[in-house]
Amino acid sequence: MREQLEALRAAALAELGDRASAEQIEAVRVRVLGRGGELTEVMRRMREVPAAERPAIGQLVNQVKREIESRLEALQERQRAAALARSLGEARLDVTLPGARIPRGRLHPLTLVMEQMLDIFASMGFEVAATQDVEDDFHNFEALNFPPDHPAREMQDTFFLPGGMLLRTHTSNGQIRVMQHRKPPLAVVCPGNCYRRDELSVRASPMFGQIEGFMVDRAGRVTMAHLKGVLSEFARAFYGPQTAVRFRASFFPFTEPSAELDISCLLCAGAGCRVCKQSGWTEILGSGMIHPNVLRKVGYDPAEYQGFAFGMGVERQALLKLGVDDMRLFFENDLRFLGQFPSFAARSAS
Amino acid sequence: MKLPLSWLGEFVRLEADTGELCRRLTLAGLEVESAERVAPGFSGVFVARVLKVERHPNADRLNLCDVDAGAVGRFSVVCGAPNVTPGMTAPFARLGARLIGSGHGGGQCLASLQEVPPLQAAVIRGVRSEGMLCSERELGFSEDHAGILALPDDAPLGAELASYLRADDTVLDIAITPNRGDCLSILGLAREVAALFGLKLKPPAIKSALLMPRAGQANAGNGGGALSVDILAPELCPHYAGLPISGVQIGPSPIWMRRRLELCGMRALNNVVDATNYVMLELGQPLHAFDRAHIAASRIVVRRAGQAPGGALDREFVTLDNTRRALDPADLLIADPEKPLAIAGIMGGLNSEVGAATTDLLLESAYFEPMTISRTARRLGLKSEASYRFERAIDRAGQIRALARVAELIGASAGGKVSGAAVDAEPRPAPARQVMLDLGAVNSILGVAVPGAEVRQRLRALGAKVKSAGARRLMVAPPPFRPDLNEAADFAEEIARLKGLAEIPATLPERASTPATPNDYRGFMRAAREMMVGAGLTEVKTIAFIAPADNQRYPGMGGGAVPVTNPLSAELGELRLSLAPGLLGALRFNLNRQAAAFHAFEIGKVFAMRGGAPGEHERLAAISCGDFALGAVGQPATAASFWTLKGVLEQWLIALGAAARVEFEAAGEAEHHFLHPGRAARVLFEGEPIGYLGELHPAEAVRLELTNPCVLTELDLVHLIAYGFQPRQQVTGPPRYPAVRRDLALVVERDVSAAQVIAAIREAASPLLESVEVFDVYEGGSIAPGKKSMALACRYRAKDRTLTDEEVNRTHGELVEGARRRLGAELRQ
Repeated sequence: MREQLEALRAAALAELGDRASAEQIEAVRVRVLGRGGELTEVMRRMREVPAAERPAIGQLVNQVKREIESRLEALQERQRAAALARSLGEARLDVTLPGARIPRGRLHPLTLVMEQMLDIFASMGFEVAATQDVEDDFHNFEALNFPPDHPAREMQDTFFLPGGMLLRTHTSNGQIRVMQHRKPPLAVVCPGNCYRRDELSVRASPMFGQIEGFMVDRAGRVTMAHLKGVLSEFARAFYGPQTAVRFRASFFPFTEPSAELDISCLLCAGAGCRVCKQSGWTEILGSGMIHPNVLRKVGYDPAEYQGFAFGMGVERQALLKLGVDDMRLFFENDLRFLGQFPSFAARSAS
Repeated sequence: MKLPLSWLGEFVRLEADTGELCRRLTLAGLEVESAERVAPGFSGVFVARVLKVERHPNADRLNLCDVDAGAVGRFSVVCGAPNVTPGMTAPFARLGARLIGSGHGGGQCLASLQEVPPLQAAVIRGVRSEGMLCSERELGFSEDHAGILALPDDAPLGAELASYLRADDTVLDIAITPNRGDCLSILGLAREVAALFGLKLKPPAIKSALLMPRAGQANAGNGGGALSVDILAPELCPHYAGLPISGVQIGPSPIWMRRRLELCGMRALNNVVDATNYVMLELGQPLHAFDRAHIAASRIVVRRAGQAPGGALDREFVTLDNTRRALDPADLLIADPEKPLAIAGIMGGLNSEVGAATTDLLLESAYFEPMTISRTARRLGLKSEASYRFERAIDRAGQIRALARVAELIGASAGGKVSGAAVDAEPRPAPARQVMLDLGAVNSILGVAVPGAEVRQRLRALGAKVKSAGARRLMVAPPPFRPDLNEAADFAEEIARLKGLAEIPATLPERASTPATPNDYRGFMRAAREMMVGAGLTEVKTIAFIAPADNQRYPGMGGGAVPVTNPLSAELGELRLSLAPGLLGALRFNLNRQAAAFHAFEIGKVFAMRGGAPGEHERLAAISCGDFALGAVGQPATAASFWTLKGVLEQWLIALGAAARVEFEAAGEAEHHFLHPGRAARVLFEGEPIGYLGELHPAEAVRLELTNPCVLTELDLVHLIAYGFQPRQQVTGPPRYPAVRRDLALVVERDVSAAQVIAAIREAASPLLESVEVFDVYEGGSIAPGKKSMALACRYRAKDRTLTDEEVNRTHGELVEGARRRLGAELRQ
């Protein structure tokens, strides 16, 4: 029986050479290890073996079985590996083709600019408060120290609505709306749309965004020096640390003293070019100490409280920042323009 | 305001160069918009005297002139001008001179003087001419070519004409803010320059003695009687002064005056009107000259249009631009006892205009209240140099001085003499203004300590009178031309401006560092926008003004359209009721530029009349047209449809955490006539309609020339924003036991909605039912006509155990039977 086993082993291993095909392998497995296979046959005849020899023969049977099995497994593994290698070679992709286009939109540049500005002011301790576009004369003009028939009203050509209402010409109404209902200390920015009677053109739009901001506290605690400090920090945060700033005296009915803020021209860095009309400076915003008459209108005593206020156009900052020169781009919504902007607002605060 | 530097130089001697002047003015609030160099239109031209004029031997219309140009020499010149006479002083162009107007057209063309060929010796009809005498056109001053320009007799012979006439000048154009009426004059600007540079101001020396009539001349002239003034509206005209002048001879003004007027942007007319304009530019006081022959009874009445004699009302008036103007009873007029003569402060009348035949004048110098001038000028749409100044408040005390100045100029240039006593009616003298200025308040506003001595010096430079009034206090009398200076903030501004804002330090305020309160509104908006972007839509912004027709097509969600009282055009005549027209406009714009698809959203305000008043509403709207999700190369794309946009909206609502409160139901047939009636949904939030979702009506698609289906949605955000503010964070761990799925298919009437089926199932369900979803809808085949089969997946789960098959089968069986009965449905096996 030992001989029979040895012969069986030799025959099977010989058959399971390195080049054995899948069919050969399967044939050997069935012939030798299958239910009615040679090895099973040998084991069935164990009874015939003398009792004394049985353990040794049994051991040999197991050994032969393991040997053939492991040979089979190795061959099968090799076959699988070869098949995988073949299929990998065949399933090769052109990885430079585009992926499936999962739709993703973009944020409007005016949103991006507005959000960045609000983030800067929020990080400096300003609250953000939205206020109304449809406004009355009191909140848009009278409380802001524009007397009726005053030429200063002509600086802002107004759209009028039924019922004695109008479309706000600036977000400064937010100053009045907030101060009427709250007491200092206050530090608030009011973003929103404003409306003036200008045709949509390269330079102007009948609807445009503004941010109004103001800070009010006890007299002496918020001064012109603080106005300069806060707005200079804003300009550097928004336009970059290399930005030079200058304050230029100006006039707004609702501030006294009034100042406009110029930054060094972004194109020529102050050297003088066509964009800044050779001055080296570009105006970005209007500001000033809140006029005592405005404080009186909201019931604050100017001897007790004082503060500063500022207002800036969103489109203007966007044009400067993006280096484009046509206001209409923002309202045409040409995808070839809008598609250049990111899908998320940059978070500037730490 | 135009400022010729040569004119400025008469009142202040400035060493700084033009660039520095412009910079300092700009920083001090007087923004220099341009500085234009004005070069003369000629070179090689000198002041000369014509000594002798003889007829040209060979030509009747030409003369031979002997010309003395002082040190330049004596010349023989052929001249064809009819006005050349011996003894006249005139411009002489010697050989080699260049004249901008020497060709035909003439006119000033500054850049090209070097291109003009130099004047060459010419032999005219056999006589050699050694130069030429020049007309205004040849010199580029005007189109006048009727004769030689006559220069004043005191002009220095041999002087370069360019320097004599100061033809080489620089003109600044300065933007004057509405609070600085005092800077609408050369003198006012000179005062600013003097204050800024620490220089002395030299105001013009004016001989007010001129106002006194010469002996024997009192009340002479046409009309005879002494002038009188009645002011019936002293609250609108607190001061009116008039001066009679007689014996004027109307003609052109001297060339220097005309040139200055033109540099300042005004047209020269004649020697009387030009003198009034000149003084207005110089001192800031608008003046008016009436032809006295047309003033009845030598009497001026200052009154409203509604105060005509006998309680009558002047309804209209012809101004000197020959335009008939409708009057309002409140308009202030200058009249005589019979008729109006001028609209006060705005424009004179044709009936008393100074013309070629005028000999006697009444000169007016008055102070009118800014508001009345502004109101009338705006109503009439009539702005003049005078109204511009009156509106911004002129010098309250400058009337008499200006009258003397103009009398002096008219005397010199038109030969007019003061022919009677000036009338000076001031029913309401200006109250004396005294302000107690606390230096501490100035420092507190500016945030920097300004020494008291500096405050005094700066305010004095502006013309204020300043006295000490105790410790750290000053008594300030602001000058009468600065009505804008009244309290500490006003003075602080002047000090900051003159000192330079750069001198104020930039510091950060000290503030309590309390934590910021989260801004839920801003957070919601930011999330809403960025989730829309994440879902594939691009943010757009459109303008709120639209055509009434678009509001009719897209009426939004109730309320009437808000008309704009004064729109830019009829096409922009109303405020939008809906964001849809703007989005469709943007779609069309992009399709016209070869875009294959457009998927966009806008968050913005719409406007509607509510209870007679315009109101505003925050909306989100989205549009989708064309291929939405593109597959990889070779794989099919997903086209925009009701389902893609509904999916975007649903995912957006899930991300906002509001999905469970939102339902969609079929919109009524007539609810949104711009939507496909069978493909329109009403969106509900907690049962209240907040918007719509649907496919654009095919007829609208045709009108807009759209070839692909276009889907639209619009939601009012107010409820969603309010919901977003509620704290509702509730977190549970993932379930610990498995769910079991059982499907069912119900055959129902075709018009039964998925929402109805699911509602019926939920009513029939046990607490073990976790979710139920439709996964297929099937019509045709074995399904009877008019019916459909809806396949649903039910998931069952218990919190505390694994469900057994038996328990699930029993529960599901009860659910199926309950739903079947409720819906009258058949079960499809």
